[in-house]
Amino acid sequence: MNALVDTREFDRPTTLAAANAAAAIPPAWPLASSVAVNPFLGQASETLAHVAARLRRVAGTSITMPRAWYRDRIATGAIDDADLTAALAAAPDASRPITLAALKAALSTDAPAGSAIPTVADLAAAISGVDWPGLIGDRIGAWAAGYFDEGQALWAAPRDKGAYAAWRAVATHDLTPEIAGLRGFAARVADAPATADAAIEHAARDLGLGVDGLESYFHRLLTTLAGWAQYARYRRWQAELVGDRDDTIVDLLAIALQWELALFGQYRNAIADPWRASVARHNAPVAATADDIVDAIVQEASERAAQRDLAAMLAVPTAAGSGTRPRLQAAFCIDVRSEVFRRRLEGVDADIQTIGFAGFFGLTAAHRRFASDVTELRLPVLLNPGLMTRSGGPADQTADLAARFKARAARAWGRFKLAAVSSFAFVEATGPIYAGKLLHDAFGIGYHAAPDDPPPYPDPMLDQAVRTATAESVLRAMSLTDNFARLVVLAGHGANVVNNPFASGLHCGACGGYSGEVNARLLAALLNDAAVRAGIAERGIDVPTDTIFVAGLHDTTTDAITLYAADTPAPAHVADIAQAKSWFAAAGFLARGERALRLPHASGGGSIAHRSRDWAEVRPEWGLAGCRAFIAAPRSRTAAKPLGGRVFLHDYDWRQDSGFGVLELIMTAPVVVASWISLQYYGSTVVPTLFGAGDKLLHNVTGGIGVVEGNGGVLRAGLPWQSVHDGETYAHEPLRLSVCIEAPTAAMSDILRHHSGVRDLFDNRWMHLFALDDDGRIAWRYTGELDWAAEGERPIAHG
Amino acid sequence: MPIHLLLLAPLAMLVGATSGFVGRGQRPAFSSRVAEAVAVVAIVVAVAASIALIRFGPGTSALLGIGDLGFAVRLDALSVVMLLLVSFVGWVVVRYSRTYLDGDRRQGIFTGWLCTTLACVMVFILAGNLVQLVVAWIATSLSLHCLLLFYPDRVAAQRAARKKYVTARISDIALIGGAVLLAVVYRTGDIAAILAAARGGSGGGLTVGAAGLIALAAVLKSAQFPSHGWLTEVMETPTPVSALLHAGVVNAGGFLLIRFADVMLTAPGVLAVLVIVGGFSALFGGMVMLTQPAVKTSLAWSTIAQMGFMIMQCGLALFPLALLHIVAHSLYKAHAFLASGGAVDAVAAIRRPGPVAIPQPAAVARAFLVALGLYVVVGFVFGFQHKSPQAIALGAILIFGVAYILAQGFADSAPGALTRRTAVYAVAASVSYFALQAGAQWTMAGTLPPTPSPGPLEWALIVLAIISFGVVAVAQAMFPLWAYHPAAAGLRVHLSNGLYANAMFDRLLGGWSLDRPSSPVRSKI
Repeated sequence: MNALVDTREFDRPTTLAAANAAAAIPPAWPLASSVAVNPFLGQASETLAHVAARLRRVAGTSITMPRAWYRDRIATGAIDDADLTAALAAAPDASRPITLAALKAALSTDAPAGSAIPTVADLAAAISGVDWPGLIGDRIGAWAAGYFDEGQALWAAPRDKGAYAAWRAVATHDLTPEIAGLRGFAARVADAPATADAAIEHAARDLGLGVDGLESYFHRLLTTLAGWAQYARYRRWQAELVGDRDDTIVDLLAIALQWELALFGQYRNAIADPWRASVARHNAPVAATADDIVDAIVQEASERAAQRDLAAMLAVPTAAGSGTRPRLQAAFCIDVRSEVFRRRLEGVDADIQTIGFAGFFGLTAAHRRFASDVTELRLPVLLNPGLMTRSGGPADQTADLAARFKARAARAWGRFKLAAVSSFAFVEATGPIYAGKLLHDAFGIGYHAAPDDPPPYPDPMLDQAVRTATAESVLRAMSLTDNFARLVVLAGHGANVVNNPFASGLHCGACGGYSGEVNARLLAALLNDAAVRAGIAERGIDVPTDTIFVAGLHDTTTDAITLYAADTPAPAHVADIAQAKSWFAAAGFLARGERALRLPHASGGGSIAHRSRDWAEVRPEWGLAGCRAFIAAPRSRTAAKPLGGRVFLHDYDWRQDSGFGVLELIMTAPVVVASWISLQYYGSTVVPTLFGAGDKLLHNVTGGIGVVEGNGGVLRAGLPWQSVHDGETYAHEPLRLSVCIEAPTAAMSDILRHHSGVRDLFDNRWMHLFALDDDGRIAWRYTGELDWAAEGERPIAHG
Repeated sequence: MPIHLLLLAPLAMLVGATSGFVGRGQRPAFSSRVAEAVAVVAIVVAVAASIALIRFGPGTSALLGIGDLGFAVRLDALSVVMLLLVSFVGWVVVRYSRTYLDGDRRQGIFTGWLCTTLACVMVFILAGNLVQLVVAWIATSLSLHCLLLFYPDRVAAQRAARKKYVTARISDIALIGGAVLLAVVYRTGDIAAILAAARGGSGGGLTVGAAGLIALAAVLKSAQFPSHGWLTEVMETPTPVSALLHAGVVNAGGFLLIRFADVMLTAPGVLAVLVIVGGFSALFGGMVMLTQPAVKTSLAWSTIAQMGFMIMQCGLALFPLALLHIVAHSLYKAHAFLASGGAVDAVAAIRRPGPVAIPQPAAVARAFLVALGLYVVVGFVFGFQHKSPQAIALGAILIFGVAYILAQGFADSAPGALTRRTAVYAVAASVSYFALQAGAQWTMAGTLPPTPSPGPLEWALIVLAIISFGVVAVAQAMFPLWAYHPAAAGLRVHLSNGLYANAMFDRLLGGWSLDRPSSPVRSKI
């Protein structure tokens, strides 16, 4: 065998192409700690039209709404001629329609339905009448579900080897492919190369692939694995974050190729010609079609239409803050769900001030909750943890042990329930108890209490210099450096839902898909520390001695606020806390009433609490559906304006930001996270088949990490259909985020110059960037290539 | 109370069905409310029926039909227990669907078929005549078929429904055959009369044939090996359908055996086959379940195992215990399916308290000894001496299960607090089990025939059952010590694929073929 020559010939191209194809797949976090991910993460350096062409090749999908959707919006005037004209003028493509009339003419017909480049399995299915892609999905799914299982099955699949080796061990035993008619599959797998890299090289050679088409074809194959590839990509992401490597996704590619090879072996003669055509299509470069360009233009026009509303809203003058000492300051996450509550809270009393800041409050905690050995990364997924924390100290040792014994006994009972022979005893001894459980859950009896672990603390303890520096940087990042109220509440947020596999997606994304009370309690404790206060006073931040910080948790499902006041005993503040609680209750009442209008089958604010406990409720809250803008400016610019829970609000005062360090932080962290959220909603709305998790009514939780629809097959990542659609209309309008920052354009250009990843997002319009003027009005639009245009005027060179 | 009034329960459900079918369009709030209201009415009827049974005793309503064949309602402990169960689970499922399907374009139609299926099941369990029994049996299956194809375009739904359809039609034929034989032998369609005659010892070869056909129908309906494939694949339809199927419809086979207990007792050979098929399916399903990483699929395999256990109980002539099993399993499984969205939290919670204490062989041996001791003590409290050898053997099998939880507490690395807690659980489970067993025996005394003394065949089966369940129980308790040995890897693959019975069924029916004709009964909705 002359494998050596071939190895030399293919080694680099296949390995490189596999790595590139893997990079094109967005990561999917496990559902226990899921966060929103930009599904176009691997394509951020390309435009929407170009990516449309790419994803059509590999997935057969379109990444904009159907033309009829835009036509309706044009007909109703929601998108007007000015929007279309502006979007047309801004289109970077040479082959765009020449005139508005040409654009409208192009829009009047539906875009042709695209189709993915056929795989060997697709061609084999067409020739043989056997649903090979379906069978492959089923078989790979059956194996992957076991391999990635985090504890659903009592008899776990072996996983000590890598994914490719583990799969080979299974595939050489599995008789299903042969029963279905794929001859000699197990023997072929047994003879396959021992490493994934070698297997990929051999497959590329045997399938006659060209070097130029490798990446495209590999991307195509990984796309057929949907959530499995995305979960493998998550593993690589996690490994790379700590400087490690993980090749699971390459192993998955090698596995998919083994199927392709086997089918190619069986149907080689019958599919030779169409397969050569597939290879040729992969070899050709990706190019946007005229239809892709039209779709991208009209999508941008719909965004410009929404930006008009936003600009009009921001143009309404507001009163500046009074400058007097507020009676309560409350900091919330920038999450769009906070906007409703903040507006209502400020409306309750003029002396309440609210602040918007990323909900992890600047503390990147790797946390172990009470009575738990599991480390939870309660921080933005772009970052590595900066401190280790835990709940429950030496004083809680007895309670910790007791809680563990209880949990272990419950776990033993759970195994008793599921084991082969004991499950019969379980049913006969305890089945009737479930009549009570059915009644309990059918009526949604009981109250889901907010998390109430003992106070979290850093372990090991941080030294004083680090503590002081952290406190200072967080306060400066919040633009909270003077005029402190007697009571400052730091409110993280979490959802309150039952029987919902997607619960973590409703928690705080900045806290890694966990609820935010741990980070808030950590920061409150830090800022109440006398030594820290003394340290930051030396650096110019004077916190009055009568100011206390109290952590809280904003329950986004029910708009209730839990305060962790007992963490720092403050007898002098009892009245302040009681007053704050009553304000929170009043604001919650109003916020529930406002939110109920948007929620299907909610009969007023009073019904909100019940639906949070309803085990059949598939839309307990809307999460971040509807998000469309990000505003970093002083709160006075947006106060009292009805933003409808659709805007991320980050407090920022550039006049206090010497050197623009805070601006850089905002543009590279919260803005990027917001773009991930916005684009996840965009992807799950526009391409639910590719970037959505499918129908909640069919979800089958698999391995504790994700869901499949129905029996099995591919894992589905993204948002479920019920999270973006209420059955009648979209709850989320697919708009790429409009980021509005009150800061000098030159400073922003400078930051973009140094952060090419962020710049790509704006240059290719995965987000839009605006600068607000000194009156908080939209004044400048970023037009790409570090240029800005006065809004409504032609571009000028800048920065 | 005129026994006919029991029909108010299925009639109410039919009103709900009509309201569902009429209330088309999105968010049919009124018809959803009607559906839940009629489900409550059905529960009220079931409660009233149980009061009537206590006050007036069992009976059969007047016949609507020709000769001795037609429609009649049977009121006895069996039909009342089943009506209570089905109406309660039905109400839970209908109430759940009201919220769960909110916003679905075809919610009304879903409600319609859901209520229709419930009505059919109720007519079936109330059947006092063979004709009604057979008609309702078939109607239930056809109505369920429409629910399984609620998303008619889903390829996997079609594949599963097709297998279900074929299996169900074979079981229909078997039941029709059994019913005809019974009508021929006993010259009546009245079930109570047939049972009385069979109990009196009349019958003969044809009765044995009837028992065989009834057993075949029941085994197919209960998704017993090797006809189980469809049951593990019907998650292609909204969760409440799975709950209804696993908690309501799949019991039809067991109910059939219990209903015809007197007839079944005339055919010890048929009962022996049921012990073997049921026992094998119980162990097989239980082992496969261990390997399943998806929560609903795991629950489906669990149903196969539990139905197998129930069929084995029928085979051992422990009919009241089989009924107890049906009730207990239905309540558990309905809840498990409807709450399956909690699986992410459940899996995440497993690791938090630290590693699992793995029992060594000595600990397992201690656990089995203690469990047997527990069995003897609790058994004497509840009156061992009055129990049949079959019931004692069954108790031993269940005690093997209890030994598993004890073994976890007895592991060397388990702290004392854990040992104590698991011991309490073990005692509580044993006492609860014996109490429920006694309750079931007491409730069904007079309605269902007592277990006959075992002959040589029965003794052989008892020993076989104890040995095979015992071996699996010991293997289970020592699980982590052997299951990850390379030698077990192949076994795991074959088991996780259900020994390929389903793959072969797929091949036989062309399940993976793209151009196969569409499913025999397409829902026209």
